[in-house]
Amino acid sequence: MSRPYLIASCGIVAAAIAAAASVAAADNRPHRVVVRSFAFEQQRLEVKVGDRVEWVNEDIAPHTATAVSGEWDTGALTRGQSAAISFGAPGTFAYRCAYHPQMRATIVVTETEADGAAH
Amino acid sequence: MNRHRHILLAAAAAVVLTVTPANAENGVLNDLEIAHAAYTAGEIDVRYAHLALAISENASVREFAATMIRDHSAVNEAALTLVGQLNVTPQDNDLSRVLVDTATQKRAELKAMEGKAFDCAYAQNELVYHQLVNETVEGHFIPSATVPELKALLSEALATFKVHEGHAEHMVAALGCST
Repeated sequence: MSRPYLIASCGIVAAAIAAAASVAAADNRPHRVVVRSFAFEQQRLEVKVGDRVEWVNEDIAPHTATAVSGEWDTGALTRGQSAAISFGAPGTFAYRCAYHPQMRATIVVTETEADGAAH
Repeated sequence: MNRHRHILLAAAAAVVLTVTPANAENGVLNDLEIAHAAYTAGEIDVRYAHLALAISENASVREFAATMIRDHSAVNEAALTLVGQLNVTPQDNDLSRVLVDTATQKRAELKAMEGKAFDCAYAQNELVYHQLVNETVEGHFIPSATVPELKALLSEALATFKVHEGHAEHMVAALGCST
């Protein structure tokens, strides 16, 4: 089973995964989740397999987006910093801020139409 | 816990309401004194947190302490950046001195404790301290600040500190400390 991947800032890993995964993210633009006022603005975000999700911290306090399962983690994001994860398999991924556990949200990854037709 | 809260609140309120610095009108703290007191309050909590990391073996207490260091350091770093941009120097004042003196006494108390007694004392102090700071920032600092950038920073810091207050309240309850 493929797992979500933290995207390196150079984008090389991102390009490789996106090309192999699907056509859903053809323009390679990530879904953006703004972290503001100690909350993930999208409490539930639905994306397609192969899409990237980018978290941007606008708070003074550092935050993370960390899978409850422990599978992935953006690491600490200080104000203005961002990090992206590519989701390579369908599933529901609950995540939280590792520093402020009350901050919780969910990413729902569904198959692309092409993936569904192939099955 | 209530006794400690009353002492802290009384001391802070007395200073906030009666201090009359030579360069301030209407008996309230000026912008530079507010900046100094707010920065001092953050530094005090960072020092409490370092003490907790040195003494406590409780995972939730240590996690909370690490968060206090991270968040208060970030707020104070933003304060230093603002001070640099405005090219001003924060002014020491009676409120800052009361905060420091009270914290020195409290740290001495905490250093003599260990185990659950320390965890509860630290957690309860964090709750009381954040209540005090939040009431002061919201009720006195923000209304009194005249520099828009300072007012904005205080407002954003208050949102952070209110989250800490909630976290501290949860920590006290989870530890099962007697009141």
